[in-house]
Amino acid sequence: MKKLFAAAVALVALSGAAYADTIKIGVIGPFSGPFALQGKNFKAGIDAWFALNGNKVGSDEIQIVYRDVPQADPARSKALAQELVVREGVQYLAGFYFTPDAMAATALLQQGNVPMVVMNAATSAIITSSPLVVRTSFTTWQTTTPIAKVAKEQGVTKAITLVSDYGPGIDAENAFKAAFEKEGGKVVETIRMPLSTNDFAPLMQRVKDSGAEGLFTFLPSGPPTLAFVKAYNDNGLKTRGVKFYATGDLTQESDLPALGDAALGLQTTYHYAVSHDSPENKTFVAAAEKAIGNPTELSFPAVGAFDGMYVISKMIEATGGKQDAKKAVEAVKGLSWTSPRGPVSIDPDSRHITENIYLREVSKDANGKYYNKEVRTFEKQGDPGLGFVKK
Amino acid sequence: MQTVLSIAVDALAYGMVLFVISIGLSVTMGLMRVVNLAHGAFAMIGGYFASYAVRDLGLGYAAGILIAIVGTVIIAIPVERFLYRRIYGAPQLTQVLMTIGITFCVIGITNFTFGPTLKTVPLPAMLQGSVDLGFRSIATHRIFVIICGFAVAAGLWFLIERTNFGIKLRATIDNAAMTAALGVRTELVYAVSFAVAIALAAFGGVIGAELLPLEPYYALRYMVTFLVVVSVGGAGSIPGALIACLLLGAIDTTGRYLAPEYGEFFFYLAVILIVTLFPRGLVGRMK
Amino acid sequence: MAVSMDQSLTAPSLVKRLADSGLIGVFAIVLAGAMGYLLMPNNLALLTQIVAVALLVLSIDLVTGYCGVATLGHAALFGAGAYGAGIAAVHFGITDPVAMTAVGLLAGALAGLVSGLVILRAHGLAQLVLSIAVIHLFHEAANKASGWTGGSDGLSAIMPNAFFGLFEFDLWGRTAYVYGVVLLGLVFILLQILVRSPFGMLARGVRQDQIRIAAMGASSHAVLLRMYVISGAVAGIGGALSAISTQVVGLDSLSFTLSAEALVMLVLGGTGSLYGAMIGTVVFMLFEDTLSAANPFHWLTVVGALLIAVVLFAPKGLYGTAVALADRFRRRPA
Repeated sequence: MKKLFAAAVALVALSGAAYADTIKIGVIGPFSGPFALQGKNFKAGIDAWFALNGNKVGSDEIQIVYRDVPQADPARSKALAQELVVREGVQYLAGFYFTPDAMAATALLQQGNVPMVVMNAATSAIITSSPLVVRTSFTTWQTTTPIAKVAKEQGVTKAITLVSDYGPGIDAENAFKAAFEKEGGKVVETIRMPLSTNDFAPLMQRVKDSGAEGLFTFLPSGPPTLAFVKAYNDNGLKTRGVKFYATGDLTQESDLPALGDAALGLQTTYHYAVSHDSPENKTFVAAAEKAIGNPTELSFPAVGAFDGMYVISKMIEATGGKQDAKKAVEAVKGLSWTSPRGPVSIDPDSRHITENIYLREVSKDANGKYYNKEVRTFEKQGDPGLGFVKK
Repeated sequence: MQTVLSIAVDALAYGMVLFVISIGLSVTMGLMRVVNLAHGAFAMIGGYFASYAVRDLGLGYAAGILIAIVGTVIIAIPVERFLYRRIYGAPQLTQVLMTIGITFCVIGITNFTFGPTLKTVPLPAMLQGSVDLGFRSIATHRIFVIICGFAVAAGLWFLIERTNFGIKLRATIDNAAMTAALGVRTELVYAVSFAVAIALAAFGGVIGAELLPLEPYYALRYMVTFLVVVSVGGAGSIPGALIACLLLGAIDTTGRYLAPEYGEFFFYLAVILIVTLFPRGLVGRMK
Repeated sequence: MAVSMDQSLTAPSLVKRLADSGLIGVFAIVLAGAMGYLLMPNNLALLTQIVAVALLVLSIDLVTGYCGVATLGHAALFGAGAYGAGIAAVHFGITDPVAMTAVGLLAGALAGLVSGLVILRAHGLAQLVLSIAVIHLFHEAANKASGWTGGSDGLSAIMPNAFFGLFEFDLWGRTAYVYGVVLLGLVFILLQILVRSPFGMLARGVRQDQIRIAAMGASSHAVLLRMYVISGAVAGIGGALSAISTQVVGLDSLSFTLSAEALVMLVLGGTGSLYGAMIGTVVFMLFEDTLSAANPFHWLTVVGALLIAVVLFAPKGLYGTAVALADRFRRRPA
């Protein structure tokens, strides 16, 4: 027991020895466990930023301290955030893949004088829980709303929604319903399925029976998307002409090789495609692919992390490296720049990122590689979900 | 009527996938009395072997399955020799600790070597696409899995009930000391049964990969499902496992069709009901 | 002859009596607590979390170690306590930390009763599966009742009052930590009395030989159920402590993962002893935290190796094996 404590203390003393004017950034994300891929993308985005910009802002050196929360676990996230702030002395908290993890840590910001840059967690309400939160990713409302418009324009009048039964899924369902009905369409049925669903065949039967012309779905990125898309094809929905709509979570680049031909032609809306055609993105992708090691693993959280680092660097510039959370957040309100995903800005009121949302179609390039081909741009989309946050 | 039939087909297909993957666990838990929480890990290793063979080396699907089985068993031999042999007959909780430890290691190593992305085992052209059954279409691959399931069930039943090895195995389970005294090398019997269980896991991992995609966390993600299936059926009973898989498949599929939002409730309430009514499993063999 | 026998009886019995009364344990908790405070003053949040989980592991020990019930669903009791305390604070304005703890205790005991009624219907593997079903049902219910629980986004904005109006629950988490250690000490004393009481003996008897207990005229089912309720109260206190200190409750507190992890901690420390439960928790969580901070990407492999090593080299758990070793040493020179 005592030895263990002593060892732990020795370790703390070692890792805690900071250099002069080193600015530490604490990054919390899922670096092991079922979502390790997304955490890896955080790191790739951050490493890409360092590769392109160096690890110095002015004369201050930046150092990242990673902490692992493998699955949504607010208690652990808060304990780690607390440790990062109090013991490691980080000036910025960043990362956060899951909403509850981010929510848990927001309670510390004011007292710790630390701003938080959310690099992924996509529930609208996070931003309202503390004035020191800035987000560089997206919200489910933001990425979902445009696809409803697309569906209506492609002649769908009756749609069915099929979403995973948890926070983001319910957000997606509400967002689609609101937007689709505003366009004059009708959502004939809304189905929520447990997150642990492996076999989607019976649900496809439900979709068939509903008589809907279009299916909107939200599933978190990862293994179930594969079975879902296969079930859609195998159960004859595709041949019947039931159109398929989803957010880009379903066709994240790292899942595409596994989905293969089954995914060809799927239409999704999202804020970022690795294939986005711009010089900024080419530079970013080259650096990020190098950072992640295996290019096929590169996916959307990397761009959130990359832009998060940009925002933090601006914060450090504005505060001259001094710890002043309020000033730091104030400085990036209204900030606009060209991200690898296109032109973006931080909305001064909501502190959430305003960005283009793209309609993409899964296609195959000349080398036989699957990618999300951007076919249409919805410019400067804010977060429509904010209006629905319970006060 | 058409809907009922359609659900029945889905239930059968899903149940058989469950059966092929979990039957190996039923062997280890029922016949060898080891709570092997690392079962999923071995299924996953099999899947990775097949994926590597078929996708990266471009070998055929059948060759992939063979490589998966042989490769996984080769990996399992030292694991059995040095780790599992220490926990035969140990208290259940010790077995849980050991096999969870093995699972963690496998997840960690897989994540490190192969990365966290999804891996697939590309299907041969023969198994791709779907077949029209008249009232609906079903993926060809699922029909293949259903056939495999029945073949595995029949083969195992034959092995345990009708062969010389089966007699030795059953004797070893009932009274290892007495069987050893009769000149049966019980250690070998255990080792072979373990290898069979692992081979089944690997086989299930490969052919179930369409439904349960391969990634490092596979080893833990589906563990609960396997455990439930085995104990509902009665550990060690092949007909029991078969009935359990079909029954649970039917309950799950029907629940998911009728009330997807409450699918989870449906499933676990049914499990509680069945386990309470049949505490030794549907076809209990454990004493 | 008589003299030497006397000595051998009295000398250990003094130590033993101290151990029995739990004084040594309380002393150890206070000492470890103080050491933690002094040595890791900047990481009290983690230490508080360890204390909360230690309560959960103690509670599993009551049913698993003392009564032989196999469960992979004990987080249901912990989560009920956490949500109980959290909901009381958010929806009913009960923000006094002690009152929140009391609510957590009651909620945990109630969850203990409910899951006990289900889980005690079978034995062995079937029991394990029932417990798995229970934890999934609890988890799903909390996910569905998102109006009350916040669903998968978690129940946030839990604002406990300052303790006695003086000690706030702040960034450094000192108040929560001290409160946690005090709670753990109190619970430990009560449990020490409980497991030595006739009721505790009866429970051990149930584990060893149910038929004999029945022949004695006691109902083993009633004993187990009562133990389950007590166990629920203990886990509920842990849950409430977690809710108070982190001010958020997430669905993970009702998860299979937490149940399994807590069981692993118990087996690691050694079942059937309150010390084993606490040592297992502290060792596992500190180990995990140190490793995952050192290498957030690949620490899981090392944790797995640790578990395997424990089974190979300390099959009775860390505490159980240490006691066995100490016993052997004591006997040999004599």
